[in-house]
Amino acid sequence: MSVTGLLLIGFLVVHLAGNLQLFSDDTGEHFNAYAEKLKSFGPLLYVAEFGLIALFVAHLALGLRVTFENRAARSQRYALDRDRGARSFASSTMVVTGVIVLVFVIVHLLDFRLREMAPDGLAAMVVRRLSEPAGALIYIVGVGALGIHLSHAFRSAMQTLGLNNTRYDVPIARAGKALAIVLGVGFAIFPLVYFSGAKGSTHSASVRAAEPGATEDVYFLGKGGASLRGFEFRGVGAIEPSHLDDVGDPRSIGREEQR
Amino acid sequence: MSSSHDTHAAHDAATSHGAHAEKKSMRLMLHVWRQRDPSAEGKFVTYKLDDVSPDMSFLEMLDVLNERLIAGGDEAIAFDHDCREGICGACSLTINGQPHGFESETTTCQIHMRRFEDGQTIYIEPFRANAFPVVKDLVVDRGAFDRIIAAGGFITARAGSAPDANALPVPQVAADAAMDAAACIGCGACVAACKNASAMLFVSAKVSHLALLPQGQAERNSRVLAMVEQMDKEGFGNCTNESECEAACPKGISVSNIARLNREYLRALASSD
Repeated sequence: MSVTGLLLIGFLVVHLAGNLQLFSDDTGEHFNAYAEKLKSFGPLLYVAEFGLIALFVAHLALGLRVTFENRAARSQRYALDRDRGARSFASSTMVVTGVIVLVFVIVHLLDFRLREMAPDGLAAMVVRRLSEPAGALIYIVGVGALGIHLSHAFRSAMQTLGLNNTRYDVPIARAGKALAIVLGVGFAIFPLVYFSGAKGSTHSASVRAAEPGATEDVYFLGKGGASLRGFEFRGVGAIEPSHLDDVGDPRSIGREEQR
Repeated sequence: MSSSHDTHAAHDAATSHGAHAEKKSMRLMLHVWRQRDPSAEGKFVTYKLDDVSPDMSFLEMLDVLNERLIAGGDEAIAFDHDCREGICGACSLTINGQPHGFESETTTCQIHMRRFEDGQTIYIEPFRANAFPVVKDLVVDRGAFDRIIAAGGFITARAGSAPDANALPVPQVAADAAMDAAACIGCGACVAACKNASAMLFVSAKVSHLALLPQGQAERNSRVLAMVEQMDKEGFGNCTNESECEAACPKGISVSNIARLNREYLRALASSD
């Protein structure tokens, strides 16, 4: 489990780095070019994908075996069962978060890998999907579960591989938490940004207007995304207070883009 | 916790309950697991005790209950105990869902009733793990641990008379780590506290204390392989690194030993001998 888990973490790091190209330009050309480049590897891509699926399935199978063996080790449960607070929310829900991630990965593959490519490119597909309320929710819940899963995973893997000791335990545990936050929040940025309408499609603006309950948070995130875009366009040195005011309302950015 | 009970305990109580110089007896509601034999169906039986002294140890409280049961013609509650000083590892029990009770680094025999509230309800269960079958009431068979130790075998270093102190250099760090691991009393609280009923903390402590010392080097590889194999045969669960064992261990054995056990195991697998 530890070896397959760490390799999958390696994949996630590369995956997040690839996704960040969605933010490198406004048209999604960079991201589309990256996707095309991956496709151009032809059979090699299938080898890599097969390897990934094999890792994922192996992780799942080992996880199932461990879970069943562990359940079988105590058939008579305690009438009163109290822990001593050493276990964390993440550590005691590894199976639950694992199953959520499994379902999410299947949906994710159906969304972007097993579906026919839209004529306007993969970036547009991603933006459309993540702007939908259902799409955004699925992706936020999926990567949220992933983040929780990872916050226990890294130190646990280090323990299992015997790479932990008293000197490194605290740094390793912290590194694991940091990794979980970077990956969890990193992936969650995409649905948050697209759903809030800070970037990309016009669809999201109408969605937001229809969801009054969500406006406050969404507006904040939208603002952050919009000012990022401001930096890109005008250059850091050229920003004037009046420009910052301009980009304050994400809706105005959306309109600007349409023109 | 000292074992020189009377004076020490009285002093303890006087300082912690300064306002009530007169010690009141406690009333307790006990739900105790009763099981006639390994194959019988067990159940909780409720007992009320009205005059428990706060200075009694938990086991002394059970002794009092047993005397009453015997006087009343009932069968005494079976529970394991031996030294009652927290060093032999014989006592067990799960007190309100926690092996050896709620106090950290304390065995059941070293908990005193003043740590409980007057009128408290206490659930007393045996350690639960399929590898530790219930023998009777609160007594479980921890023979699985003995078989793991036996599988580890003997060390071939000459035991003879005490060697010259400087003949066998042991770095202080290794000596300390080995001693910390050797503090394991083999009580099984780690298994009882683990949600997977895993014996990794126990095995890791036993593997560690020999692997760290020069005397343990000769059979370092074969020992860890044999002990892990026996552990798996006994039907313990797998470690999922939640550290509940460490928190429950009356001797404070660290889970860093589990990392060492994994390291020793991989090292042994990779070696040719």
